[in-house]
Amino acid sequence: MNSLPFHSLQVRLALRLAALYVIATAIAAGVLIYQAYDTATSLNDRELSLRAEDLAAAAYRDASGAPRITLSPKLAAAYAASTDDIFAVRDASGRLLAASPPEFGEQVLRWPLAKDDPSYFHLTNLGSTNYYGLSVELASKAGPVSVSVARTAGANDLVSSLLREFIFDVAWVSPVLMLATLAIGIFVVRAGLKPVRQISRLAAEIGPGATSIRLPTKNLPAEIEPLVHAFNHALDRLERGFLVQRQFTADAAHQLRTPLAILTGALDAMPGNGEMSKLKADVARMNRLVEQLLRVARLDAIVLEFKTIDLNEIASNVVASLAPWAIAQKRTLAFVGADACVWITANGNAVEDAIRNLVENAVAHSPPHEEVLVTVHAEGRVTVLDHGCGVPVEDRERIFDRFWRGRNRKSDGAGLGLAIVSEIMRAHGGSVALEGNPGSGALFVLIFPLSRAETPGASSRSAAVMRVADNRLASDEINAS
Amino acid sequence: MRLLVIEDEPRIAEILKSALQRAGFTVDVVSLYVDAREALALTVYDAAILDLGLPDGDGINLLSDLRSARNDIPVLVLTARDAVEDRVIGLDVGADDYLIKPFATVELVARTKALLRRPGGALGITLQAGNIALDTIGRDVKVGSISLQLPRRECAILEHLLRRQGRVVPKTVLEEKLYGIDDELESNAVPVHVHHLRRKLQEAQATAEIHTVRGIGYLLTETKR
Repeated sequence: MNSLPFHSLQVRLALRLAALYVIATAIAAGVLIYQAYDTATSLNDRELSLRAEDLAAAAYRDASGAPRITLSPKLAAAYAASTDDIFAVRDASGRLLAASPPEFGEQVLRWPLAKDDPSYFHLTNLGSTNYYGLSVELASKAGPVSVSVARTAGANDLVSSLLREFIFDVAWVSPVLMLATLAIGIFVVRAGLKPVRQISRLAAEIGPGATSIRLPTKNLPAEIEPLVHAFNHALDRLERGFLVQRQFTADAAHQLRTPLAILTGALDAMPGNGEMSKLKADVARMNRLVEQLLRVARLDAIVLEFKTIDLNEIASNVVASLAPWAIAQKRTLAFVGADACVWITANGNAVEDAIRNLVENAVAHSPPHEEVLVTVHAEGRVTVLDHGCGVPVEDRERIFDRFWRGRNRKSDGAGLGLAIVSEIMRAHGGSVALEGNPGSGALFVLIFPLSRAETPGASSRSAAVMRVADNRLASDEINAS
Repeated sequence: MRLLVIEDEPRIAEILKSALQRAGFTVDVVSLYVDAREALALTVYDAAILDLGLPDGDGINLLSDLRSARNDIPVLVLTARDAVEDRVIGLDVGADDYLIKPFATVELVARTKALLRRPGGALGITLQAGNIALDTIGRDVKVGSISLQLPRRECAILEHLLRRQGRVVPKTVLEEKLYGIDDELESNAVPVHVHHLRRKLQEAQATAEIHTVRGIGYLLTETKR
């Protein structure tokens, strides 16, 4: 997975969800507050209209037919007691019928008469308080009357303070809700992506050695399913490719070896004078090159079977099998084993190849009559020491590259030997290194991880059978002697 | 001595035939599975050289048929398949030795001779390397025309090295063969015997020598001139 936080789908989704929430909350709160103020204002208007109607209902004509107002004692007391609520009523001719307080009546007398439609006013010059009110013409028993009622601006305070409290409450809860949304968002996205993580782990196991794995599409988010299907199809094609390559490797082995065998045999049958022995050496080199190319191809394409094997036994077998060749090259081999078996989990054939390549290399670079020493150490290391001219410091990085060859060498190798060693060690979770030799020459070290099982469950089948074959020869010889 | 070469690739068959003929063998060549069966049924061969990949059948089947019919003719298997499993199968069904293509013809001839020297093998009882000759019945060692008197254990070491000449004989194998379970074995007993043997061969001007592979064992090779 990508470690950059903003490349993570879940973080991106969660952040956007949170932003969406913040914007939605802000809009909702804004609308709510506006509505609340609006409602408060219209409630106030309605209250004033009702009062105006109450006042108009109290108007009547006296015996002389002149309009008059007499408030009910309760209403009169309420108006008299409060300076917050004021009113003034005039008749159609503009004469003041009643007012509380009288100063308001005097002011109203200067205003034009009210209309059917209520007109609103804001009064600032009556006492020290501000008044909001309305004037309206209403029908009454005394004919149309013009009523003005008002209340102090502070009468709205309750509504305002409620609103303020509401806003503060919302403002406080908002960040908490936002965090909760973020957490839920992350949780939901994580849960949704869990199958994706599972198939990622599975996909990581796919390699040349395990091409048959396919990713399951069960429980996958529908958006990702097409990707997984496409991936599986790509794997199908890759697997076919690997099969073709494996088949090619096997075919090439057979097809190349037979003509080489013919060539080798035919040359062997001829008397070896100067030019002929050079030809023989050329063919031998070609044999070796083909062999190594096939080994590289096999390592790339073929699954190595791992078993628990004894490194001591493998290394001593290699030394024993190469000794006649080394002696023919006028070099000697020596072997120092560990005191006890060194169990590693490995492919015996491949490990043999790795050690053989190092020994062949060491012999090729040793001066005549020098010894190449193979040592097995108890901690899973194999060292191959020669007394040649060593590897120049500037070449040490590159000696494990394919087809790399030393510059000033009449080397007859293909430059594949050390690359093969390196590949084999990688496949075993080990490593190969070139260490400084205190004397002259090169010291190569193979490091294998030790097998966890101290005693091998199933010893290497190949080694066991080779031993049986060896014993058979041995027992034949006992019988003979 | 008569050998049967079962090989479908005509050039290889030709090369094998001429190399083995030069080594003094009579050689019959067949290229098909069915012909091989017939030849083996009609003629008694001293050894067979068998290529596993035949056009009309698998050499492995031929080998297992032979062994189940209690025919113990020595068989050297040739194969272009070198996977361990293939070698193991070959040895399991009763091959006596195997060579992987491409091989050196000298090695093929040497291995064939070794097969024939086995107990029950047809080749004579004299083991040879360079000018060294060892009569396995008379326990008589000659270097050129000089007869060499060797103590019993040195003679036994020489015999083992001659039987597997060109290949390393592990020191442990020599120890097992020279000493019984009850014998007191000193750790340097074999090296001491080899040292004496080597000196005596050099003094007699033998054209084969014993090499030491330190930590593994010994091998005997003809000296290159």
